[in-house]
Amino acid sequence: MSTTLAAGAELDFSLAQQLTVIALCALTAFIAHMALAIFNDGVRPFLLDFIQGRTTRSATTAVSFGLSAGFIFGLGAPMALSTGVLNPWLLFLPTDILGMLSPKKWLAPVLGGAWGAVVVFGLNGANNIAHDLPVDFLTAMQQMSTPILFLFTLFPVLAITKQFGRKWGGIAGVLELALVVMTMKLWPTMFAGALAMAVGVLMLIGLAVSKDLRQRRADRAAGVVEEVGGDDPMASLFSASATRLRKYLPLFMLLGAGVCVLAQMHVFGGGEATSFLIAKGQYAEAAQVDFYRVFGFIPLIATTALASGAYGIAGFTLVYPIGYLMPNPFLAAVVGALVFAVEVLALSWIGKVLGKLPSVRDSSEHLRSAIGDTLQLAILFGSLMAANAMGGGLGILVVGGLYLLNEAMGRPVVRMAAAPAAVIVGGIVLNILYWLDLFTPIKG
Amino acid sequence: MTKILTGGVGKVEVTQAIGGLGIDSLDVVPSSDMDAAMKLRVGQADYYLGTCHTGAGASLGVLVGLLGSASCHTFGRSVPTEEAVTALLAEGKKAFGFSMDQIDVIAPLMARAIAARG
Repeated sequence: MSTTLAAGAELDFSLAQQLTVIALCALTAFIAHMALAIFNDGVRPFLLDFIQGRTTRSATTAVSFGLSAGFIFGLGAPMALSTGVLNPWLLFLPTDILGMLSPKKWLAPVLGGAWGAVVVFGLNGANNIAHDLPVDFLTAMQQMSTPILFLFTLFPVLAITKQFGRKWGGIAGVLELALVVMTMKLWPTMFAGALAMAVGVLMLIGLAVSKDLRQRRADRAAGVVEEVGGDDPMASLFSASATRLRKYLPLFMLLGAGVCVLAQMHVFGGGEATSFLIAKGQYAEAAQVDFYRVFGFIPLIATTALASGAYGIAGFTLVYPIGYLMPNPFLAAVVGALVFAVEVLALSWIGKVLGKLPSVRDSSEHLRSAIGDTLQLAILFGSLMAANAMGGGLGILVVGGLYLLNEAMGRPVVRMAAAPAAVIVGGIVLNILYWLDLFTPIKG
Repeated sequence: MTKILTGGVGKVEVTQAIGGLGIDSLDVVPSSDMDAAMKLRVGQADYYLGTCHTGAGASLGVLVGLLGSASCHTFGRSVPTEEAVTALLAEGKKAFGFSMDQIDVIAPLMARAIAARG
């Protein structure tokens, strides 16, 4: 138990970390109040009506709450409780809602900061309690990292198969497998999937770009005139949005600095699976996972931002991996601010480029879908491994049973978070059984 | 022939789910939000079904801006009843967003409701 306690102590939030989280939550709530940026990609399109004055603050708050609540309680909270690490769903979805809810400008940062405080103090307390329990599910959760890393390595293969068919998928699969084996043999200290993922993603992008270029050449040969109209409704909507965002550039730079500093402190995981890696101290691996994840989100965030006039709280989420790798918070703040500045300034251009590359936009959707598929299996398998580490067969019975129950009930908890949530509940059940003298913890 | 475009993260799955029903009056094609926005505006397609993790963002994205929110509806992560879907179609909703993990229920539901309108 002594080693596990030491591992847990690292996750205690220092005063500087607590203040950063509180300040950042105050800022994100303020920005959400101004409808300048919002974390939930699903709510962003609805901000257009609000920004243009066609709907009220309360109606927009209702949309925001309706689309976010399930992810706060069904994804953010279980992920945070099962890893001890903060995540954007737990921090920024509530500040989306609280900021939008506030009728007055000054109230938004107050409510946002208060939420930040609730989260850091609450999670700190929950972490300490969890580590002191005889059956320690937080430590068991570290089983998660191997399946996540190795299955995630395969996501480009799945995306290529979905978009370009079995033949290319097969080639990508064999190539990636060979690269993993080669990396293990030649560079044993490096993460085995690093090279394979890089090559896989490059292959997907290469296939998509070449398909688009071929298509454009074919169109041109066939005499299809590209639609370039001054009255193109999409172009005028996009440029109005980009202009609106550019006006608030300093505020966005502050936001970028804040998110990057949070990631640098290593108490925050940006992606669905990254929290588990951060909790285990695998920062370089976490950075790779979240870096590739960015490719799946750039078109989504760019198009929703351009179509609504509101940006993402984490931008293109590129500040996450950069933050994990930064040596100190000061550098992270500077780099985060610069990254956001470039993102906001380039938004209009990115929108134009994406408009010309439909296959690349398509790829990003397949990428996100593939990431979801690999992580779903990895998190389910990792959770069962954690269950096995906590309580052997009984653990698997309880955790697997709860997961299946959630499925049978129509998934009140998001599928991605269902298994980790089951591990938490399973851990509590096993602790109760221990107190009742009905269960002996597995040595670990 | 009613033309349905699919988009978002689960477009392949939605297309397969609806295609597998074998409803002859429906033509389901995977597309994207930008493409669908243009086709729906000029009447080259009739409906759009989008999916993503939240049931709104990636799926509806550009559509809310270009078609107006009156033509769009999102179920979020909830599962609607057949009556609810029929009522929404009667209201003139054309673009629908729902959550990826509810595709197996909602996609067939939408397809049948759309086919029933003829």
